[in-house]
Amino acid sequence: MNHITCPQVQENLILFIDHELASPLDYQIFEIHFQECPPCTQIMEVERAAISMMQELLRRSCMESAPQELNERIQEQINALSAQTQVEFFSQTTVTEITFGEGDSFQITHEVTQEYTQEFRNDTE
Amino acid sequence: MEKNEDSLAVVPRDNQTDLAVVDVSKESAAQKKARFERDALQYTSQLYSAALRYTKNSHDAQDLVQDTYAKAFVAFHQFEPGTNLKAWLYRILTTTFINTYRKDQRRPQIAAGELEDWQIHDAASHTSDQGRSAEDEVLDNIPDGDVKTALAGIPEDFRMVVYLADVEGFSYKEIAEIVGVPPGTVMSRLHRGRKLLRESLGQYAKERGFNKSGDAK
Repeated sequence: MNHITCPQVQENLILFIDHELASPLDYQIFEIHFQECPPCTQIMEVERAAISMMQELLRRSCMESAPQELNERIQEQINALSAQTQVEFFSQTTVTEITFGEGDSFQITHEVTQEYTQEFRNDTE
Repeated sequence: MEKNEDSLAVVPRDNQTDLAVVDVSKESAAQKKARFERDALQYTSQLYSAALRYTKNSHDAQDLVQDTYAKAFVAFHQFEPGTNLKAWLYRILTTTFINTYRKDQRRPQIAAGELEDWQIHDAASHTSDQGRSAEDEVLDNIPDGDVKTALAGIPEDFRMVVYLADVEGFSYKEIAEIVGVPPGTVMSRLHRGRKLLRESLGQYAKERGFNKSGDAK
């Protein structure tokens, strides 16, 4: 039960090394196999070391800092886009004024309603 | 006169400007911009590093990253807070690169079938008979410039996947979404790419005659 063969281990070795096996159970099955099979363990360790060395090499070599000029360009562009967005706001103010008197008295009530509608027009996809 | 005006004045405005718990649908343009600047701009160097490996030159890389941020800013309302922002930005970067920058270049297309015939077993058997080889020792000391040259030399589809997996540490599934191909294709490209890169670096090391102390030339 829960056993896999050497060819099965080796065919899926990369998935094990890259932590891409489907379930925790799969890892257990691999680990059990490795405990019982020194040749497969050897193959796995060599391959894992090779990949890990490559990753370290790549990370060491590929890390760059964004030039200050680029950071400035990005910020300027965001500011510009942001200003455009403001223009694209659709806003509307509705003022309703109702004036009415009551009976013979000269008491006048003003009821003022102000509505401010703002809506973002999304022209982007 | 029973007006209680206090309730209006006392509410601390901070409640509305706490960006961490912002309700995107009610967010003002200024709040959205601030959230974008705070969350997205921290990745400029990482995206630029990737863009350099994609485009192979600083000028295009800068344009690509700038385009990416412009698109990301405009589409930021579509980004779901709490999900992986870096992966989202990488997806825009990669898609923009594929759709824009790559168009001008004539490049050999990878045949669809070619990707499916690989065998992982291949990689294992390649190295299984050796322990940590002398070649590995040499590779440890290879200069950054040679690593970049070697990476630049492998076909683009492989290069992108190797970069995303081995430099950025994205999962197959994340890479599949970033690049827009199935996870199985990611796996095969990664396998191929690593193999090509390894061969290429081995060749560099041999040609330049590096030794363990890392003397170049």
